[in-house]
Amino acid sequence: MSAGSRLALLLPAFWLLLFVGAPLLIVLEISFSEVISAIPPYAPVLRWGEEGLRIALNPENYALLIGDDLYIHSLLSSIRIAATSTFLALLVGLPIAHGIARAAPRHRPWLLLLVILPFWTSFLIRVYAWIGILKTEGILNTVLLTAGLIREPFVILTTEWAVHLGIVYAYLPFMVLPLAVALERIDPAFREAAADLGARGWSIFFRVTLPLARTGIAAGCLLVFIPAVGEFVIPDLLGGPGTPMIGKAMWTEFFGNRDWPVASALAIVMLVLAAGGILALDRVQRRSGEGLS
Amino acid sequence: MRTWSLLGRTLAALLFGIGAAGAQDKVVNVYNWTDYIDPAVLEDFTKETGIKVVYDTYDSNEVLETKLMAGKTGYDVVVPTSYAMARQLQAGVYRKLDRAKLPNLRHASPTLQDRMNRYDPGNEHAVVYMWGTTGIGYNAGKIAERMKDAPTGSLRMIFDPEVVKNFADCGVNLLDDPADLFSAALKYLSLDPDSKKVEDLQKAEAALMAIRPYIRKFHSSQYIEDLANGDTCLAFGFSGDIVQAKARAEEAKKGVEVVYKIPREGAQMWFDSFVIPKDAPHPDAAHAFIDFMLRPDIAARCTNAIAYPNGNKDADALVKAEIKEDAEIYPPAERLATLYTISPFPQRLQTQLNRMWTRVKAGR
Amino acid sequence: MGAVPHWHASPPAAPAPTPTLPHAAREGGSGLTSLVSITGLSKRYGPVTAVDAVDLEIARGEFLALLGPSGSGKTSLLRLLAGFETPDAGRIVLDGQDVARTPPYDRPVNMVFQAYALFPHLSVAKNVAFGLEMEKRPRAEIESRVAEALKLVELEALAGRRPDQLSGGQRQRVAIARAVVKRPKLLLLDEPLSALDRRLRERTRAELKDLQARLGLTFVMVTHDQDEAMAVASRIAVLNHGRIAQMGPPAEVFDRPADRFVAEFLGDCNLLEAEVLAPDRVRLRGEAIELLVRPMDRPAGAAVTLALRPGKILLGPDGRNMLNASVESIEYLGDLSRLTVRVGAATRLVLTQVNRAGPLPAVGDGLFLTLPPETLVALPA
Repeated sequence: MSAGSRLALLLPAFWLLLFVGAPLLIVLEISFSEVISAIPPYAPVLRWGEEGLRIALNPENYALLIGDDLYIHSLLSSIRIAATSTFLALLVGLPIAHGIARAAPRHRPWLLLLVILPFWTSFLIRVYAWIGILKTEGILNTVLLTAGLIREPFVILTTEWAVHLGIVYAYLPFMVLPLAVALERIDPAFREAAADLGARGWSIFFRVTLPLARTGIAAGCLLVFIPAVGEFVIPDLLGGPGTPMIGKAMWTEFFGNRDWPVASALAIVMLVLAAGGILALDRVQRRSGEGLS
Repeated sequence: MRTWSLLGRTLAALLFGIGAAGAQDKVVNVYNWTDYIDPAVLEDFTKETGIKVVYDTYDSNEVLETKLMAGKTGYDVVVPTSYAMARQLQAGVYRKLDRAKLPNLRHASPTLQDRMNRYDPGNEHAVVYMWGTTGIGYNAGKIAERMKDAPTGSLRMIFDPEVVKNFADCGVNLLDDPADLFSAALKYLSLDPDSKKVEDLQKAEAALMAIRPYIRKFHSSQYIEDLANGDTCLAFGFSGDIVQAKARAEEAKKGVEVVYKIPREGAQMWFDSFVIPKDAPHPDAAHAFIDFMLRPDIAARCTNAIAYPNGNKDADALVKAEIKEDAEIYPPAERLATLYTISPFPQRLQTQLNRMWTRVKAGR
Repeated sequence: MGAVPHWHASPPAAPAPTPTLPHAAREGGSGLTSLVSITGLSKRYGPVTAVDAVDLEIARGEFLALLGPSGSGKTSLLRLLAGFETPDAGRIVLDGQDVARTPPYDRPVNMVFQAYALFPHLSVAKNVAFGLEMEKRPRAEIESRVAEALKLVELEALAGRRPDQLSGGQRQRVAIARAVVKRPKLLLLDEPLSALDRRLRERTRAELKDLQARLGLTFVMVTHDQDEAMAVASRIAVLNHGRIAQMGPPAEVFDRPADRFVAEFLGDCNLLEAEVLAPDRVRLRGEAIELLVRPMDRPAGAAVTLALRPGKILLGPDGRNMLNASVESIEYLGDLSRLTVRVGAATRLVLTQVNRAGPLPAVGDGLFLTLPPETLVALPA
C-alpha cells in the first residue's frame, strides 16, 4: 500500500473520529453525570482528586428514562407519527415518482429539479408558511368558509395531522428521488410481460412494479422515517402539546429543564435504538434475500 | 493593495465574528425577550455612542439559562426574570456592575431595587428594566359568545375545567413556563404560590392536568400574534404582551377586542433586570447600554412601546396617559397588595418541577 | 428433425441448402386453416412508418419467422400481435375475432421476451404461475399446470430457484413455460435465442422446434438471423421497410428470392446483370455468355438481374450452362471452401464447395462450372 492510499484511508477515519467519535464520547460522559447549577450545568464524571482519577458514574439519568413512561411514550409516539408520515409520503410520492419515471427523458431533469426546488428556500420558512395556511383564521379555513364548504373553522394546526402534513411536505423529495430512480430503472419489458400474462393496471403495479422498486421504496422510506422520528421543528411549529415526539422531549430536557445529562442519556438511547434497528433490518434483508420464494 | 486589505479585514471579521470588532469595544450584544423594546431606541443608542447593537431575542427564561450555563454566549447584556436570575447568580454566571459607569442609576426606582434585593443581595448585579404581572388575556367577543357570565377577572377562567372547557374550541394558550403556571395554580388552590413543598406542587400538577385537555398550545411568545388576529381566544401570559396584542388587534381593525386582566385572586409580579454575563466580551459597551436604557426618556419610550411599567422612578411623567392610567398595567396600591413574587427553586426541586411540567404538557 | 446437420455451424454467409421440412410440406403457406388474418395493418411512429399496410395469414400450428434487418418493422408487427401497440389502421383477426384494439391482458396470445423479462423477485414456479393467478384459477389447478409446464421444459427440479440463479438456457425455458402455461392460441417469440451464446443457440433452436411440434401450437418468432429462421420456421416472412418482401417456406424463400433485398438478406448471392433473349434464356451483360434460366415472364430485350446462390454452382461439366472459369481466390473454411472465380471477360462469381478428400483447386487454375438453370432466378430489375 502506497503512502498516498494509506493517507486516503486515514483521513476519513481521522475526520470520523474527530467529528463523530469525540462528540459522541462527550455526550456519553454527560449522560452519566449529575445536573448542577454551574457552567457547564453538569458535574464531570472524570475528576482528578487527591487520590488520582475519580470516576463518578451516575446511572440515574438512564433509570429516569426507563422509570418515567413519558419517554417511552414520546418514543412510541414519534415512531408512530414518523411511520404514518412515511406511509403518507410514500402514497403521495409514488404517483409523483411514477410520473417522473414515465415522462419523456428530456423532461425528467426538469421534473426532478421541480421536486428539489423547495430546498432552495429555508426549511424553517417553508414550515412556518404552513402556520399561515393552517391556522384557525388562516388561508385554508378562510377559503373553505368563504366557499361555504364548512360552517365553523376547523382546527388542524396543533393537531397530529398538521405534523403529518409538515413531515410529508418537508421530506417528500427524499421519498420521490430514490423512488423515481428505482422506477425509471425498471425495464418496461417487465410491465409488458405482466400485461401479456393477464395483469391489468393495478395488478401490474402491485405485483410487478412495486416489488421491483422495493430497494427504492426502502431507501425512500428510511430517508423519510429516520429524520422524521427525531424531527423537532415540525412538531414544535405545527404540532400541539398532544403530539409528543422524542425530538421535542430532548429539546425540553435540554432547554426547558436545562438537564443536559438526561438529554444526553436520551440521545444515547436513541442512537443505540436506531443502530440496533438498522442492524436488525439489515439482517432481515439478508435472510430474506436468500430464502424468499 | 487597498482592495486586498479591505478584503482581508472583511474576511477577518467574518472568521472571527464579533471578536474582530470586540477589540474596539464598538459592539454590544444584547439578548432580550421578544417584543420587549422600542426598536428605535437601539438606533438612537448607536447614533449617540457609536456602539453597534447586535440584538437577539428569546421567549423563555429556560432558553436563556441554557445558553448562559453552556458558557461563552458572547452576549454582553441579558434580561432574566428575577427568580431565574437568582438561581443563575448562584451558579456564578453574572459579573458585578461597575456603578461608576452607570451615572443614570440614580433614576432607578428605589422601591423596585429594594424588592430586587431579595434576589440580588445588595443590588450588586442587576438593575430593573421592566416589571409586570402574569395574568389573563382574552378575546372579548369570542368569550362572550361561548359563555355569557364568564369569570373573566378570575383564575377560574384558566383553572376551572368547567369554565375553560367552553373555550377549548377557540384556542387556549398557556405560557410554556413551569414557574408561572405552578405558582398560579397554587394561588387558585389557595395555597402558597411560592410553596416549595412537593405535596403542594403535586396538587398544582393535578389542577393543571385537569385543564390540560382544553389547552391547544403551550407557547411563551406566539400568543401575542394569535390573540391579536383571533387564532387564540384565551391566554395566560405576561401583562405587556397581552396589552401589545390588544394594540395590534386595534391596528388590524378586524373586530378583535383583546382584554388583559390581573386575576383578582392575585397574580405573580415579576421583574426583568439588566445583567452582564461574567464572560461578556464587551463589558464597557454593556455598561454604556444599560446606562442609556436607564435614562428616563428612553425608559418611557420603551414603556410606551411595550406597555410594561419600567423600573425608572423619573420616567413616569413621560409615559402615555392611556398606559399609566390602565389599572391592569399600573395596578393601584390596593391591587398591588394582591400581587406576589416567587423565589428560585432549589436544583433538586427544580428538576422535579420540570418533570411535572413535561408531564402536564404531554398530558399524561 | 432430430438431426440438425452440423454444417449449420459454418459462417452465416455460406448457408447450405436446407432439406425440405416436414412442416413446410404439410402446411406450406396455405391459408386454409388460418388462425390469424392480418389485413391492411399499419403503425406509424411520428414520421416513421414501422408497419405499412401489411396483409398476413398465419396458419394454425405453423412456425412463422418474421425475418428482417433492424428497423424493418418485424418487432413492431410482433408487438401489434401482442397488443403492446395499437395499430393506426387495419385488422388483426384472431380465431374469428378482431383483436387489433384488445389490450394485451385480454388476448389469447403470449410472448417470450427477448431478454425473457422473468420477474426477478419471483421464483421459477411463481413466474410460471403468474399468468394463471391473474386468471384467478383455483390453487390446485395452478399447481398442476405449473408442474406440467415445468416438466415440459424439464425444469421441475429448479422450481424454487430465482431467475438470477439460472443459466441463460434455463431462463429461456422458464420464459417459454410461463407463456405456454396460459395455453395461448398464439405464442410470440421476440428474438428468443439472441441472449444465448452461439453453441447453446444452435442446440436450443432444435429444442424450440421440437417443442413447437409437440405442443402443436402456433409460433411467431421475430429474428434477424436468417440461419435461425431457416432452421426452425416452417415459413419465413421477410420484412423490409414495414412491408413483407416475401413469404414462404425457407427453401422457397432461399432458392427463389422475390427481389434483390431478399436475395441479399438471406446469405450470399451472386447477382448478374443480363438481357432477356427468350423466357428461359439470357445473355450476361458485357459478355458473350448465354445461359438457360428458370422460366420467367419477361419480354425479349428486357434487362434483368439474375440471383444465383454460391452453393448451387457445381464444379465440373454437368449438363447445361457449362462455363470456363479461372480461380482468383480461395477461402478455406473447414467444411467448405469459398472460391471467387472469373468467367468470360470480367464477370466474377462466388461459389462454395464442400471439402471432400482430394486436392483443392489453386489460384490461377482453370475450372469447368455448371450453373443449373433452375437455380438461376431472374429478379425484377
